[in-house]
Amino acid sequence: MSDGGAGETSRRSFFAQMMAGIGLLLSYGLFGGYAVAYLFPARVRRTARLLFIGRRVDFAAGSTRTFVDAKGRTLLLRPSGDSIEAFDTRCPHLGCKVHWEPDKDRFFCPCHHGVFNRDGVATAGPPFDAKQSLTREPLDVDSAGNVFLKVEA
Amino acid sequence: MSLNAKWVVIAVLSLFFLVALLLVGYRETLKHRAEEEPKAVVTGLNDGCVTCHRQHSAALVMQWEASRHAKIGIGCVECHQAKESEVDAWKHEGVWIASLVTPLDCSRCHQKEYEEFSRSHHARAGEIISSLDNVLALKIAGLPDNPADAVNGCWQCHGSIVKFKRDAQGQIERVGPEHKPVIDFTTWPNSGIGRLNPDGSKGSCHACHSRHEFQAKLSRSPENCGKCHMGPDHPQIEIYNESKHGIAFYANRAQMALDKNGSWILGKDYAAAPTCATCHISGFVTPTGEVQGNSHDVGERISWTLRPIVSTKLNLVRFDDGTQDDFPDTRALPDIGATVDTTEYVVENDQLVAKTVPRKVAKVMTWKDRRESMKGVCLNCHNHTYVDNFYQQYDSLVTLYNDKFAVPSKSIMDELTKEGLLNPKSPFGENLQWTFYELWHHEGRRARHGASMQGPDYTHWHGMYEVSKHFYTKFLPEVAELAERRGHGDEWKAKIAALLAKDEHVWKQGMTPEEAKALQRAYEQRYEEKTK
Amino acid sequence: MTTGSGLSSRVQRFFAEAIPLDWDALRTVGAEPVPYHLASWWWCLGGTPLYLFVVQVATGILLTFYYVPDPSGAYESVLKITQEVRFGWYLRSLHKWSANLMIVAVFLHMLRVFFTGAYRRPRQLNWCIGCGLLGCTLGFGFTGYSLIYEQLSFWGATVATNLVEALPLVGPPAALLMRGGAEVSGNTLTRFFVFHIGLLPTVMFALLVAHIVLIRLHGVTELEFRGKRVPASERTFPFWPHHASTELLIGVLLMFVLTVLALAAPAELGPKANPAVTPEHIQPEWYFFFSFRLLKLTSLKTSVYLTAALGAGMFLWPFLEEMLHRRLRMPRDVSVALGVLAFLGFLILTVWESWAG
Repeated sequence: MSDGGAGETSRRSFFAQMMAGIGLLLSYGLFGGYAVAYLFPARVRRTARLLFIGRRVDFAAGSTRTFVDAKGRTLLLRPSGDSIEAFDTRCPHLGCKVHWEPDKDRFFCPCHHGVFNRDGVATAGPPFDAKQSLTREPLDVDSAGNVFLKVEA
Repeated sequence: MSLNAKWVVIAVLSLFFLVALLLVGYRETLKHRAEEEPKAVVTGLNDGCVTCHRQHSAALVMQWEASRHAKIGIGCVECHQAKESEVDAWKHEGVWIASLVTPLDCSRCHQKEYEEFSRSHHARAGEIISSLDNVLALKIAGLPDNPADAVNGCWQCHGSIVKFKRDAQGQIERVGPEHKPVIDFTTWPNSGIGRLNPDGSKGSCHACHSRHEFQAKLSRSPENCGKCHMGPDHPQIEIYNESKHGIAFYANRAQMALDKNGSWILGKDYAAAPTCATCHISGFVTPTGEVQGNSHDVGERISWTLRPIVSTKLNLVRFDDGTQDDFPDTRALPDIGATVDTTEYVVENDQLVAKTVPRKVAKVMTWKDRRESMKGVCLNCHNHTYVDNFYQQYDSLVTLYNDKFAVPSKSIMDELTKEGLLNPKSPFGENLQWTFYELWHHEGRRARHGASMQGPDYTHWHGMYEVSKHFYTKFLPEVAELAERRGHGDEWKAKIAALLAKDEHVWKQGMTPEEAKALQRAYEQRYEEKTK
Repeated sequence: MTTGSGLSSRVQRFFAEAIPLDWDALRTVGAEPVPYHLASWWWCLGGTPLYLFVVQVATGILLTFYYVPDPSGAYESVLKITQEVRFGWYLRSLHKWSANLMIVAVFLHMLRVFFTGAYRRPRQLNWCIGCGLLGCTLGFGFTGYSLIYEQLSFWGATVATNLVEALPLVGPPAALLMRGGAEVSGNTLTRFFVFHIGLLPTVMFALLVAHIVLIRLHGVTELEFRGKRVPASERTFPFWPHHASTELLIGVLLMFVLTVLALAAPAELGPKANPAVTPEHIQPEWYFFFSFRLLKLTSLKTSVYLTAALGAGMFLWPFLEEMLHRRLRMPRDVSVALGVLAFLGFLILTVWESWAG
């Protein structure tokens, strides 16, 4: 794919063609990169911090409360001893929202009838088969009885 | 072009394209760095407050986030912090705070505004508690144990004495696990501009700069002042609305730069119309082209007092401790450096007490100086002749009201009191006293305020018309009736006759034949009606 | 590399069977000899709009990821693309500038075709298709501009659809069809969106294919330059790599120019459309200046009829010229004079409008 002719001109031609190829590849490649960046929404820079959730004394025994954190996750809060437990209500199976059934003392996922016990461990349904449990979020309780969730926001 | 050359050109062009793309990437980074700036900054100190209150009082937090304060990290604790020793302090979620934020709190950053405001008429609005108006609300309209009229009425503009509930031992009542002090509901919520605060400061910045967004446009808008400066006794907002100034404002609101951050200078930032703030507080470009900054001393540019029975020009005496007093021009001006006895109202045991404080004179501004500074605003749009002539028009109306009605009626009232026909301890005991009160406090003020701010209808129909009608048809007959009832009828009939015999009142005896004929002709031409 | 050749031959066989085409014939098409005069830059003006069309398709698809075709969200979504989305401003600016360049390139291409007489028998139909492509390009410009839903574009759409309404017979139903109602409304924006990303691209693509196929079937017009004899061996050169490299060069040049334009004058956004208030000063995009000036110079009816007549005249010119030549013995060179006249008229009106505003 060259003009042919003497070896000298052929080599020069090959070099020019290669430079053009590299140039085109780099420039169009970067352009494509920008297009890809455009498609992926910019990630907000997050810093870890403690999010105040409430005071331990405000949680009556046996009560539950939901809390939407800064990431948009719905957490289910339940008092337990001196502390509070928080479960991400996202079902580990396929992402539906589980809810707490106080009368049956269990979490239930309506999509595929996943059942989790009070510790978030699956006891029936597809999550049980796959041995998936609800995600537990660690909470901090300070000496004054204030409860914090560690989040990135 | 040879094929080889074309490949080379392609290589060079693709390099150019690459460089241009890198520039695009550079601009993209710059853009996002710039964008991150104007967000609310939640500092570590306020993190706890904001997180919890975002749920308990979401809109409040949103308001704060929209404020300029939030953008520079001034949050809850910066304003609400309190010392443990303060009377209204309580420990909330581990931090000593006070619910009430006073001008003293604001002064931590806004020192100049605090000083100007604290010496102004506005800061002393709470002293009304010792005036006739308060008698009306507390005694006449109220019950001994129910001051609701004053609570919901007077004090919401003038300011309350903020008090706490106390038990039998005089200790402040506190509630809840955090021992929050209980504020006497009759005294707070209150955003009166002359509020008497527990920390001894006077006033409330929030009266004009509503929390928690603290929008500049609020205090620059006439409606903001209209919350209090309205109604039968001082209809400033109504007068403004009917004036050319108000008309221009409402037609050009969008051109007023009301939202501008920082200074707001007439002749620089906007020109469409003056608002209340423009003339009485805000900065303006002077006739020499300099910028005169704003002053929160609201009465500084005022040369007449239009409030009392008889108006006087007002000189201003400023003392070396930053306080000031208005001296009516009937009172001799002290020398600079002289010591003058002044009256200061302070709160002691939840009561307002007048104290005499000797103060050293630092500066004197005559009423002419004050008028000149107001003219500086006027001259932004009007020429000297216009402004000077306006002031002559205005002065002549005040003098007319003073000379023809205020001075004679006041001397009659004083004489009746001196003769014992009126009981000074019962200021509203007689019809005459109500009539007289409305004559100067409502109608007379309307006329004077109307003239001061170019509201013709308030000057005449709501003002001088009412003054003269009630002077002749209510005040004088009620004087005669009272004197009759108290056994001094003949003596006072003679006095009233003597007054009415003066030149300015002879119209009561009828017009001259020429005047009557001219009036009749005018009505015939206009309405085709015959005077009977 | 023992398996390599085996694999590649197997792959070749797979495609040969899966797509039963005459591959050898296709190779010949790719290597079709190109007339020598295409080495002149004037003959790249057809490829330029094609390249820009590809840029438009690519950036357009990207913009559609964030664009909301609804009056309540359109402006805000464009604002978001311009201000928030990474490289959104760049891609939007590319789209805008590429659209403008495309219109210029189409005009230049048409001038070249017209003044070299390449529209004459047997290529009359391809001229008509080309005119259709011009119409599509202008349609893209008009609907695309309206999509950003700012004050000027909103009122531009209002004026333009009312102009269409003034056409005899077809006007009222056409305007109703464009607007989806008696007034420019929420329906209009949705329709313009459909025209812009659905209907027009489809029509344009079909016309483009037809246009190129016809070029290939007819072969590129070979020019005779007076007094210049070209030996037969030099009358053509191979498409690859000679002409392809030219097109590559133009492509990367265009990308460079577009990027510089996007940097120097990025696409902006005026105030949001307000159906209650017409701005003090309205003007369409520059490529409609001629019609806007015509409207100011004459009455509504005259200008609309005149524009329609000129458009129809241009569309049918290959046939009209033939007819006039045969019936009235009009010399063919009159076309050149008429073309110069028409182009000068367009130029004068455009410049006039841009100066007088």
